[in-house]
Formats: sequence, structure tokens, C-alpha cells
Amino acid sequence: MTLSHYIILLDTLARFRLRAETRRYYLGYLWWILEPLLYVAVFYIVFEKLLNARQPEFLVSLMVGKLTFIWFSKSVTQAATSLELNKGLMAQLDIPKHLFPLSVLHEGLYRQSAVFAFLGVFLVVEGHTPNALWWWLLALFVIQYLLIVGVALIAALLVCVQRDFQVLVQLGMVFLLFMSGIFWDIRSIQDPVVQDWLLRLNPMAVLVDAYRQVLLWNEVPSASYLTWVLAEALALLALGALCYRRLHFWINERVITR
Amino acid sequence: MTGLLSLNNIAMEYGPLSGNDAPYRVFAGLNFTLSEGERVAIVGRNGCGKSTLLRIMAKIVAPRSGEVLWAPGVTVSLLSLGLGFRNELTGRENAYLSCLLQGLSRQDARTSLLAIEDFCELGAFFDKPVLTYSAGMRARLGFAAALENRSKVILIDEVLSVGDKLFRDKARETLYGELTGDRGVVLVTHADGEIKRLCQRALLLEGGRFAAEGEPASVLADYAVLDTKK
Repeated sequence: MTLSHYIILLDTLARFRLRAETRRYYLGYLWWILEPLLYVAVFYIVFEKLLNARQPEFLVSLMVGKLTFIWFSKSVTQAATSLELNKGLMAQLDIPKHLFPLSVLHEGLYRQSAVFAFLGVFLVVEGHTPNALWWWLLALFVIQYLLIVGVALIAALLVCVQRDFQVLVQLGMVFLLFMSGIFWDIRSIQDPVVQDWLLRLNPMAVLVDAYRQVLLWNEVPSASYLTWVLAEALALLALGALCYRRLHFWINERVITR
Repeated sequence: MTGLLSLNNIAMEYGPLSGNDAPYRVFAGLNFTLSEGERVAIVGRNGCGKSTLLRIMAKIVAPRSGEVLWAPGVTVSLLSLGLGFRNELTGRENAYLSCLLQGLSRQDARTSLLAIEDFCELGAFFDKPVLTYSAGMRARLGFAAALENRSKVILIDEVLSVGDKLFRDKARETLYGELTGDRGVVLVTHADGEIKRLCQRALLLEGGRFAAEGEPASVLADYAVLDTKK
């Protein structure tokens, strides 16, 4: 398969999947934005209204954290089962296996662009006007997308090895949700060593913090942490690419025969 | 004649299917060559490994041992009905996706939609979601889309047993019309008439090896004897 045909197929699969998903629900495309917003609403009610967290600009901070994290968590969770869900196609067609997780991620990219557009408008309304620092967002998007691709490729492979990993992937997303400072600020950790470890071990904590630095606090994000995340993402990507190349036939056999 | 694909001493096994089982040996020591313009049938009882063999030829799974050779530039396809179909998408959308999956370019896929729409005779339903289709209508669409496959080697696994009789006859005639020239065909079916009419050669897969090979009528007679012993 040529690269151009691969890209056409990837895009068509993603767009048709979106179309099919949208037709399934009465509110259609609205769910792209409604779903993440409902998550934000749940956290807002629990932490701001019930627990009286009283953090400054809690809603805006929560929006930035949750709407960026959900891109990661939803993409990885959905991509994790993509090989299994396409077993019918894999049994009939000689096709690159990474096409399935990547088309799910491509679909997520379409969805997330609407979410980011909404977030941008929301921030402007809240008084956070765009400035030169917002150019950093391009770097953050690219790094986060590469991270998503790397993690999703490995997650899909693990679920292919053993379905039980699907539960672990979901649990992992919940764990990361709590550890990435979505509804709290990673800088509120007093011990700098602990804070540094958390940022080194959890790339999503770095990214969420970086988005807030750029969008809310007018700060330049830490190049050192971002470089670390980029390196992690590229390492996962390289590992994923190698595994999919080496295990081309094994993946098929595993999925088809169980 | 030039060889399009050849299997040299291939063996396949699956499993183990559960903890203490030994791996399940599907077949071993199979040799086979498909030449340009040749149409070959593979017959055998359910579970004897016919579909696995086609999947090996289609580069979907690899044999445990042995060698599979495809002639340079030769495209191989397992003819599949409803490739990648999604219920929420319309017949037109599904047919377009199916064409892309079969390797057609966007332009060719769009052109093929006209032929598919005409062939499947779904009328206004062509632009309705596939979830509103009956099984027969779905099969019509699937078959019409599968006919757009342009591969040099076509592997057919029981796809002719779908739809109502009238459509089945039309589908069969059209498919046979497509399978002429220098294309290679491997057909797996239980329909003896199809084999005798379409194929020049047949192989009987039994007990993990080719138990008979030759003229379709003679191989089918061997298979009939085997079937009565069952």
C-alpha cells in the first residue's frame, strides 16, 4: 500500500466513523463538545460546590486540564480496542495493522479540534486574550499528539496480546486523571522533589501544566520537561512502529483465532 | 504460463487452544502453484483448513514453516462481501469505503460507485443507512462492491451462496465474466457445479495434506467417496 493511499484510507475511515457515530445519536455533532463539558460540570459541582475547593479561577483551570486530558484518555482507550473491533477486516484483508488505532486517533483529532475551538472562545470570554505565547500551543498539540500515538499503539498491541489489558488501560486512565493535576494544581505539591518526580513520570501532568502556563498564567512552559515528554513520546512511537512491523502476521493470527 | 503464486512445503498450526493442549496442526507439506489465467478449486470437509490456506495466499497469516512466493507486482485479494461495512453508513458510503479498502484510488472508487449502484439494484435504498437493509439487500451491495476488486489473483471463499436466486445467478454470471483473462483464481466452495464449470483443476484437502489433485470431476469423485465414509 502506498503512503498516499494509506493516508486517504486513514482519513476516510476516521471521517466515516465520525459520521456513523454522529448518526447514532439524536444530538449528533453536539456530543463532541457536550460530552467533555459534562465531565467538567461533574468535577466542578463536586470540587467547587460540594467540597468548596476555592481555588482561584477553578472553572477555567479545570476546563483547560480536563479538555486537554480527555483528548489523551479517550483516544487511547478507544484505540486500545481497535484491533479487536476490526478483526473481521483483518481476517479478509492484508492491511497494515496500525491503520486501525491510527484511524481512531485521527477521528479524535477531528473531534478535539472542535473542543479546542470551544475552549479558545471560552477563554477569551473569560478574559484570557490570545497573545504571542499562544504560539506555544502548536508545540504542545504536536507533542501531545505524538504522545497519544505512541501510547495508543502500545495499548492496542497489549489488548491484542491479552484482552485483560483493556481493563488495565481504563484503570490507568483513571489513575492518570488523578495524577495529572486536572482538578488541582501540580504546583501545589510542596516538596519540589516529589513534584519533579511526578512531572518526570507522568507526561500528561507536564502537558496539562504547560497548557495552563500558556493559556492562563502567561508563562513560557518548561522546555526541559517538554523535551522529556517529547523524548518519551518518540521512544514509544519507535517501539510501537517496530512491534507492528515485526508482529504483522502474529497480530492477525492472534485476533482472528481467539 | 507464469506462476502468480506458489506455496512450497508449507505447514500451519494454531494454538494451543487451551493451557495443556498441544498446538493444533491444520496442515503440513503443502505444495501448490497458481499460474496466470488458471482457476483452481480447493475442496474438503469443514475445518480442514481451506480458509486458512486462502488466508496464507492472501498474505493475511503466515505459515509456521515453508515458503510462500508471490510474483513481483502481483496483487492478491480474498474476495469479501461487506468489507468494512458499518450499519449507520449508507450503501453508497459503504461501497466507497469498500472500494478504497480493496485498493482502488479515490477517483476509481467514485467511478465504481456508478457500476455498483447499477448492479446492486437497490434503488433509493442505496442512499439509506445499511441498517435499514434486509440480509439479501446487504448481500447485493456487498457483492456489487466486491466485483470492483482489480487484483490479479482472486481468492473466493464461499461468497456465491448469498442473496435470492435471481440475484445469485446474475452475480455468478458477472463474477465468472470478470474472472477470465490472465487473472488467477482459487475457489473454495461446496458447489460442485461451480467447480466443474469454472475451474481447470481441483485439489482435495484432507487430513492436513492434498489427498487428491487433478481434473475437477475426478477430484470431486474422490471427495464424494470420502464424504460417504464420514
